[in-house]
Amino acid sequence: MRLSRIRNFSIVAHIDHGKSTLADRLLALTGTMDAKKAVDQVLDSMDLERERGITIKAHTVRLLYRARDGQEYTLNLIDTPGHVDFSYEVSRALAACEGALLIIDAAQGIEAQTLANFYLASDANLTIIPVINKIDLPAADVEGTRAQITETLDLDGDEALAMSAKHGTGVPEVLEAIVQRIPPPQGDPDAPLKALVFDSFYDSYQGVVVHVRLQDGRVRPGTRILLMSNGRTYDVQQVGVFSPDMRPVEELSAGQVGYITAAMKRVADAKVGETITEAARPTTAPFPGYRDAKPMVFAGLYPIEDTEYEALRDALEKLRLNDPAFTFEPETSLALGYGFRCGFLGMLHMEIVQERLEREFDLSLIVTAPSVQYRILTTKGEVLDIDNPSKLPTPDKIEQMEEPYVRSSVFVPTEFMTAIYKLAQEKRGEHKSLEYHGKRVHIRFDFPLAEIVVDFYDKLKSISKGYASFDYEFADFRPSDLVKLDILLNGDPVDALSVIVHRDKAYEKGKALAEKLRAVIPRQLFEVAIQAAIGSRVIARETVKAMGKNVTAKCYGGDITRKRKLLERQKEGKKRMKQVGRVEVPQEAFLSVLKS
Amino acid sequence: MAIGQLHPVALAGVEPGDASLGFYVHVPFCAQRCGYCSFNTAALEAGAMARYLAALPRELDLLGDLPWARRVRIATVFFGGGTPSLLAPDELAAVLDRLRARFAVAPDAEVTVECNPESVARAKLEGYRAAGVNRLSLGVQALDDALLPRLGRLHDARGARAAFASAREAGFGNVSVDLMYGLPGLDADGFARAVEAVLGWAPAHLSAYALTLDAGSRWAAAGVAGLPPEEAVVEQYWRLARAAAARGFEHYEISNYARPGFRARHNLIYWRAAEYLAAGPGACGFVGGVRYANVRATPRWCETLEQGTLPVDASETLTPRQRLAERLILGLRTADGVPHAWLDERLAGDTPLRRRVDAWRARGLLGETGSGVRLSEEGFLLSDALFVELL
Repeated sequence: MRLSRIRNFSIVAHIDHGKSTLADRLLALTGTMDAKKAVDQVLDSMDLERERGITIKAHTVRLLYRARDGQEYTLNLIDTPGHVDFSYEVSRALAACEGALLIIDAAQGIEAQTLANFYLASDANLTIIPVINKIDLPAADVEGTRAQITETLDLDGDEALAMSAKHGTGVPEVLEAIVQRIPPPQGDPDAPLKALVFDSFYDSYQGVVVHVRLQDGRVRPGTRILLMSNGRTYDVQQVGVFSPDMRPVEELSAGQVGYITAAMKRVADAKVGETITEAARPTTAPFPGYRDAKPMVFAGLYPIEDTEYEALRDALEKLRLNDPAFTFEPETSLALGYGFRCGFLGMLHMEIVQERLEREFDLSLIVTAPSVQYRILTTKGEVLDIDNPSKLPTPDKIEQMEEPYVRSSVFVPTEFMTAIYKLAQEKRGEHKSLEYHGKRVHIRFDFPLAEIVVDFYDKLKSISKGYASFDYEFADFRPSDLVKLDILLNGDPVDALSVIVHRDKAYEKGKALAEKLRAVIPRQLFEVAIQAAIGSRVIARETVKAMGKNVTAKCYGGDITRKRKLLERQKEGKKRMKQVGRVEVPQEAFLSVLKS
Repeated sequence: MAIGQLHPVALAGVEPGDASLGFYVHVPFCAQRCGYCSFNTAALEAGAMARYLAALPRELDLLGDLPWARRVRIATVFFGGGTPSLLAPDELAAVLDRLRARFAVAPDAEVTVECNPESVARAKLEGYRAAGVNRLSLGVQALDDALLPRLGRLHDARGARAAFASAREAGFGNVSVDLMYGLPGLDADGFARAVEAVLGWAPAHLSAYALTLDAGSRWAAAGVAGLPPEEAVVEQYWRLARAAAARGFEHYEISNYARPGFRARHNLIYWRAAEYLAAGPGACGFVGGVRYANVRATPRWCETLEQGTLPVDASETLTPRQRLAERLILGLRTADGVPHAWLDERLAGDTPLRRRVDAWRARGLLGETGSGVRLSEEGFLLSDALFVELL
């Protein structure tokens, strides 16, 4: 296939600006699939993705398009994840493209993610085609949006396309623009194989299916490939394209996008960002920017029923097949029994894993308060990496504690600057730099990772009315005045509720936590005392009063079935409770630690 | 747990396990619906009662035609409502006669009618007695003349007292009085006065229910002001328990007190998870491990019978585990409690539950009866917390 007939592109947009609708239109219009099936928005294929309206994994579809010049073009649409937890995956997916459609809602105009995505695409040196969507809405302001594009995005607003993805108006012009404006890939099919892995998933029949973009060379079944980051070699079994289902082809060559299977057992064998080359004739330089996705947040996962431990382990192993960024190892808790310490890229990643375990594997879980990894210097001169507060040595054995810091970038309209600085201060941010870009500013802060993993992103969005964008990367470990905050229920410490916090915030956190627990722990037969303590010093106390009355007054012939069913429903609710000592603690209590 | 349509033939197919059964007859009509009431009631519209009274004997006939009907004995009959005392004595007598014609009603059967104070005069009650009624349950609920209309009751304190006196004069020795507590605007002293007054009448039996805002009641839907706090309701429970004990009543079920020998035999059938038949709109029966419920809406119940079909709407065959659970949660409502064997069967292999039960014992909420276990009076108050575990 001639390179001049290939276009590799991505669609990026602020949430709800119409990315998935456009993708469906493109699929339908090119006959890749019929319109009815397209309604299901194939690209967001996981239930979770559809429910949350975000893309978690990258997806790829090959569209065949006969352009107005009479030629048939292969358009590879590479869909990208849409959350800060997955910014590395986004950058790799964009690296596989030459161009991007930047969708902007004609009624909403440019928003935070529009901007963040614009920068990501610019950084990847992509040709960006601005597309104004929803021109059918009464509130649509196409000219105003054009002006905004010129002003804020450093693009020519007059060149923006206007369409209604919902009604299909203007969509043929979008297809034509992809062909006309986005440059074809450049590469040498005769040079040594050089392919970028931008996603992979596990299939129980074929092993790992690796999504690749070929820069140079060719690959076909039987090619012996080399993975440059780990030196492993494999024999290719199948190569193919997504149209949108997997369809084998004879060969993939320079510029093309498709998949490779090679009897790989684990997704971790071909990680995102990996360079695949030919073992016999390797390329000299791998793609830059490869990095191991390292978990940033750690939490304990425990089955509510002890009997589900084995099932949980099996489920975690299955999930890891598809998700190398997620780690787990067994751990025990005095309060919760046997479980696993799991590492995640961020909170969204953690929630996704938890939801998948509960939905796809039907497990009831307790997730303990998430923690980052701290570095401890002991008085004996050892260095310990601690990601579980209950493993923290006692203060007398600690010489110094260090916590991880990140370097972060915030883009925000100037009007929200004051609010952003206030939030940064609350979160112990250190201001690094400030640059003005028209009506927006780019602020750099260093933050303790612990301060931003939980709800920072949400808070940032809410104080900036959604306009701020945020990205971060690990910086280093820095000494910090940290303490362990313990929670005691009726005098017994509950290890799974312990958190490591900055000393200045310990009192406030302890008080909030005790209050939150009082609200979520149901009344029991006896009074439950909730204490927050640092060492032996209690800093907050709350009480859950003993149950006074819990009785069905009337129970005669007609009431019996109803009463039993009522109790059965209550019992279902109680399944979400974990017995900690004598106290029944609901699942949400453990999560409340992070939300308070 | 499939609640399915149960064809009448299926009711014929179940075999009662007990030799003697209770029989519940639902009379749905009320002159006015009370704010707290979630029972199946119907407005007393013109012609409705006549249509009901024509349909009810058909239901008794259809039940009597069940293949096993001749083999069982009816040990108790209970007319509940609604307001059964809206029935004229001859109407009630006709129902009882039809029942006796179709079933072997024991000569010593307990036959109870629920009565509202405003609807009973001495002559009516004498008529009931002549028809074979030997127990009355009088819906007094409260003796506060400001409170009674708020509840939606049609009588006042004097009327309640008079109704009780009429029952006595009509020759009823076995009269039960219903009271409520935890009512809006009623404090512990006010309730204690009502308890003392009622106990002063020397009834054979007393039922006292803490107000619950059940789904289906007007108060649950619209809310009600002035509900006392939980501590106050608990205090009222104890004031009642102490006063009843002082008068020689035994607290034999969570909400029921009786002088020795006057426990409600019909209701004990429910709490022993024993079997009973039922007739009338929305009435529920339990036969051969099957719980069934009649069509609730009175017109549709009538219609079904007019077409010659048993008006069974839904049924559920209990699993052995559900049967055991019901025996435990019903039996533990009573002072008799449950045999050790039943509880042991449930606890077998369930260590966490055994520990939970041990904790109840240690706190004095659960105790020994000699042959079994029972909840203490304190345990009664918290019983649902244990029952949910026992399911």
